[in-house]
Amino acid sequence: MIIQILKEAWISISAYKLRTFLTMLGILIGVAAVVMMVSAGQTVQNEITKTFDSMGTNLILIGPGETVSGGVRGGRGKPTVTFDEVDALKKLKDVEAASFIVSAAAQAVYGSNNYGVSIYGTTPSYLTVGNWEIEQGQMFTEHDYKSGKPYVVIGQTIVNELFGLQNPIGKVIRLKSQPFTVIGVLKEKGDGMMGDDQDNIVLMPATTLRQRIQSYFRHNYASVVFVKAVSEDKMEIVANRVEYELRARHRLKDGVANDFTVRLMTEMVEKVRSIGFILSALLAAIASISLIVGSIGIMNMMLVSVTERTREIGTRKALGAPNKWIMFQFLAESILISFMGSFVGMIVGVIFSQIGGVIFDKDVPISIWSVIISVMVAVIVGVASGLMPALKAMKLDPIEALRYQ
Amino acid sequence: MAEIQPVIEVCDLCKTYYMAGGLSQSVLKHISFTIYPGEFVAIMGHSGSGKSTLMNILGCLDRPTSGTYQLSGENVSDKDDEALAIVRGQKIGFVFQNFNLLMKRTIADNVSLPLIYQGVGDEERRQRAVEMLKKVGLEGYEDRLPSQISGGMQQRVAIARALINNPSIIFADEPTGNLDSKTSDEIMELFAKLNEHGITIVLVTHEDDVADYAKRMIKIMDGEKAYDGLRADYKENQGA
Repeated sequence: MIIQILKEAWISISAYKLRTFLTMLGILIGVAAVVMMVSAGQTVQNEITKTFDSMGTNLILIGPGETVSGGVRGGRGKPTVTFDEVDALKKLKDVEAASFIVSAAAQAVYGSNNYGVSIYGTTPSYLTVGNWEIEQGQMFTEHDYKSGKPYVVIGQTIVNELFGLQNPIGKVIRLKSQPFTVIGVLKEKGDGMMGDDQDNIVLMPATTLRQRIQSYFRHNYASVVFVKAVSEDKMEIVANRVEYELRARHRLKDGVANDFTVRLMTEMVEKVRSIGFILSALLAAIASISLIVGSIGIMNMMLVSVTERTREIGTRKALGAPNKWIMFQFLAESILISFMGSFVGMIVGVIFSQIGGVIFDKDVPISIWSVIISVMVAVIVGVASGLMPALKAMKLDPIEALRYQ
Repeated sequence: MAEIQPVIEVCDLCKTYYMAGGLSQSVLKHISFTIYPGEFVAIMGHSGSGKSTLMNILGCLDRPTSGTYQLSGENVSDKDDEALAIVRGQKIGFVFQNFNLLMKRTIADNVSLPLIYQGVGDEERRQRAVEMLKKVGLEGYEDRLPSQISGGMQQRVAIARALINNPSIIFADEPTGNLDSKTSDEIMELFAKLNEHGITIVLVTHEDDVADYAKRMIKIMDGEKAYDGLRADYKENQGA
């Protein structure tokens, strides 16, 4: 019976091709819009995750404390963690690596080329905590760090800007008029979260930076300290150990606030990702308005169809069609229209998302959510918009229906 | 000799329409008659006489207010909508004044439509439709659309559709009302031929020429049975 009803419904809707197509279009556009918005949202979330991953995983960030003046929170205070304290943090349990940066900015000069760069004074472990890899040459060693050697490891952008096609290894660049030998090149990372160029970076031993570029600094305080836990589930406990260790070293009494801040990268990732999720849900919600409009379109068309085919309904009833059959046939017609619209809409949505991905040079995932949304929409919209017309058709009096002009 | 079971047995049938404000209108008043297999009966009456209401009740599209109606020995006067739909599908064939064909469906689809509701498969439906179209002289027209054939042919299609489920009786409501006189004759001759083959036919008409094809006539006047007898006798009395 169900197959026969579906066949009859299919024949009926295919008899009015243009009308069926136009009705379908509403659902098609709605589903395509939702699929595209969900894909866009997921792409944004994936990009965020990728960016955070490129910054390092299982990371705990220690920065300056917050200033409090008269009970009012101010901005960031001065850095309070020294280079030596970072060395001590390395020895804590479940810590894979610890490093830090002190930053500066300068014009890098090589021959007649020059380029504005960010300089990170750091330790060799920075490669591990920052998820960096060496493309060419090598990283400076612990020995280079301790003795303050004028070695630099540079990012791809600087290679391109200063050296072009030349091999930069062994070449000498000048930063703040000081000569530095390029001993390594970092593997490309691409843009950071804020669209900043992560590859426009010069790494050098922090000791070298302090001696040659920032010799006016009297103390060796790290701007940001990175501690990498051995695994994600150890992050919380490592953060506690770091806090305990630093409080002890800073001789902070109970009740006195930290003069540093400890942040877990996972917390930051979750925060940003939840914003991304809310954003994509919001986009999908806006797109689903067109689904409601499409659904009203189907209901409208089915109501017109019932009125137009009143005589047909009367004839079918006179020839022995039970009321339920009539209802199911009209319901099947609206579900078929909705199903086709959703299916084609899903394909169109996926195709357009992929085209968008190509245009913006991003990997757009083909989500299982597209299929789930489409099927749900097909059933819900089909039933919701077809039920009222189908009931109307079912309730028609065969005598009145046969008389209908 | 075994007693022949009537196809239709109507006893004291009344139909009253109740309207808002407590008003009511009695359309059929205490009508009784019996129709046996193989009869060709014309129900006649002026416009508003109640003949269409009677036809609707006999065709199981409506229920009487009181009285009983037995179709092939089965009391159908108090059945619900679903049960009446089954009765219509199994025991009744309809031929309408304006054919009531589905214009977007082929002739074969139209003819086989009643079989869908009885769960007959595609192939058998098609086969039976082709056979039935042959009976009404429309062999080879199976895959055409109703709009591609004449009015007379369309009514033949409707007759084939009425016959396809081997009904106990065929109800024809003004079957020639939309046809010219020549085509009307052809259609009525087809009915006469079918009746000769033993099919029971009840015809509702107000045209004397059309009623002449029937052997028996029931005349309804103001909701009451005014005459029930041979058509020839009625004409003779009228002429006298």
